Amino acid sequence: MTLSKDQIGALVFLCLSLTYGYYAGQITMLPGDEFEPFHARTLPTALAGLGILFSFLLLVTGTLAADRKECRVVLSGYDFVLVAKLLLLIVVFALALQWIGFLLATMLFLIGGYWLLGERRPRTLLVASVPFAVGIWFILAQLLDIYLAPGQLFVLMFGG
Amino acid sequence: MLDGIITGLTTAVMPFNLLMVVVGCFAGTFIGMLPGLGPISAVALMIPVTYGLDPSSGIILMAGVYYGAVFGGSTSSILINAPGCASTVVTAFDGYPLAQQNKAGKALALAAYSSFCGGTIGAIVLLFAAPALASVSLSFQSADYFALMLLGLTAVAAFSGKGQVLKAMIMTVFGLMIATVGTDVMSGTTRFTFGNVDLIDGISFLLLAMATFALTEVVMTVLKGQHKEEEPDMNMAALGSMKLDRDEVKEIAPTVARSSVFGFLVGVLPGAGATIASFLAYGLERNLASAKEKLKFGKGALRGLAAPESANNAASTGSFVPLLTLGIPGSGTTAIMLGALIAYGIQPGPRLFVDNPDVFWSVIISMYFGNLVLLILNLPLIPYISRLLVIPRPILIPLILFFSITGVYLVSFNTFDIQMMVIITVIAIFLKLLEFPMAPMLLGFILGGILEKNLSRALTLSDGSFAFLWERPLTLTICVIAVVLLVLPMIRTLMEKRSQPGPEQAVTEGEG
Repeated sequence: MTLSKDQIGALVFLCLSLTYGYYAGQITMLPGDEFEPFHARTLPTALAGLGILFSFLLLVTGTLAADRKECRVVLSGYDFVLVAKLLLLIVVFALALQWIGFLLATMLFLIGGYWLLGERRPRTLLVASVPFAVGIWFILAQLLDIYLAPGQLFVLMFGG
Repeated sequence: MLDGIITGLTTAVMPFNLLMVVVGCFAGTFIGMLPGLGPISAVALMIPVTYGLDPSSGIILMAGVYYGAVFGGSTSSILINAPGCASTVVTAFDGYPLAQQNKAGKALALAAYSSFCGGTIGAIVLLFAAPALASVSLSFQSADYFALMLLGLTAVAAFSGKGQVLKAMIMTVFGLMIATVGTDVMSGTTRFTFGNVDLIDGISFLLLAMATFALTEVVMTVLKGQHKEEEPDMNMAALGSMKLDRDEVKEIAPTVARSSVFGFLVGVLPGAGATIASFLAYGLERNLASAKEKLKFGKGALRGLAAPESANNAASTGSFVPLLTLGIPGSGTTAIMLGALIAYGIQPGPRLFVDNPDVFWSVIISMYFGNLVLLILNLPLIPYISRLLVIPRPILIPLILFFSITGVYLVSFNTFDIQMMVIITVIAIFLKLLEFPMAPMLLGFILGGILEKNLSRALTLSDGSFAFLWERPLTLTICVIAVVLLVLPMIRTLMEKRSQPGPEQAVTEGEG
């Protein structure tokens, strides 16, 4: 049996609501809070209940309509590998920001992005990234006087 | 009211604010033209820029971007049959056939004039409707506010497409759940942080908005392989004349007037927004047309283009009414603006009219300027602005990604936020593939804090009893409307699912 979009969504949110509800019960309360009409657990507990109710309803309606063609999950035609690479590039950009600073990280991110999306001409890769990164850095650091950390690697090599 | 208008006018005509209107309209037009990026993404991309401005200038810039994006969406609909956002899908029905008949210039001009009229009529009605509604809502108490928040949240779900109501409700609850992450302001205890220091302040609105609308929308274009598509080949010389003759003006004048008022009224309804307004206005105009004229619809009918264009701009203006007077956004885009206002320390709602009259009135006045800018500056420049569409996608996409990421990073200077954006983007893509709408989630997130505060206050005042929901006639009325809005579409959906074999999917995502 193949699960439909609604069924998958409903099951995911059902699990999420149950987990959320469990952790809502773990929220630390101040002494005497349990006698108050409203405390830190009130809304989360209500939301968990609503989440469970709506997920269950979606599961029921999803099951009733599960046989329809448009309800099935179709994953063909999507480039998941490229998206994964692009998201990984963003994660690397975050790390690079910490280690090599804003300017170099931006250049590398843009070149990486252009490359992943199919641009291979070295001249275009450089022209569309280096002047742009330098321009943005100049506006932020020099014109707007925003402090951009130089990167831990340079601090380690040359000192603060 | 006259004092307020003068205050607003003084603020709006300040050179810097006028510049913001112009910049906003241009930036919005450009972003709105890019297929896949609509007003929500455009406004989300502007949030970091507005953080450095004062509230009036910031919100004026965002309003300019909003109009610009709707107008930009119409331009790409007409020129390349690729609507930039859901609210301009209908524009392509008759706009693109006109462009194919070498009347692109006329279609663009008609779209601009209709948008201008729609926006202007909307702004004038807003000028009178907003203060009237705001003065009535000044008597609201915390119980009424709580009921209003409920109404806002249920209305957004209720106006979702067919078969989407339950999903929208789930997403609203999901947004409310995300809003509970971090320190509880009332008790000071941390919730759902799992010992992570970066989560103690909760998830920032900017991060969530940028990740779910800017980053996700761009990544979705890559996922669908749209980045490989050839850049549109546009022959600017073939735009043709931008002039309309007297007969054409006579033909469309009643359409524009009708659709503007209609669009404004639809836009005022919380959650309805510009998309529904444009579809309904097109349908209405088609029904009103004679049998002979009806045949022209879809083949380049001027009325078929004027109706949705007037309606979507008037609806954009209308969606500011619930935002400014009740603090409930009328659309996904105004939800983002609500978040931005809250970030400024301004609470939209009845008190805005009293506490920040400069913001309240300058936004209304600048809407009019925004429409003027679109007509006087943007229209003649369209042939040049649309050249930006031919920037290769492999170059454009990493640049937009860069702006989305650094927009968040430059506010917090915390790389954890970038990692968080990636996680949220992955979740958002997964949910989009399962056809869950994103706007209700953001609305739930934004309203979560206020909802909890008012519920807490109301429950404490009534000593833990929920009787506050029906003790005051006003609260009861709002609650009843909320319940009706919630239950009716669910029953309708259930009945349709039983009777019809294939429900059509309504486009609500990317709601303007």
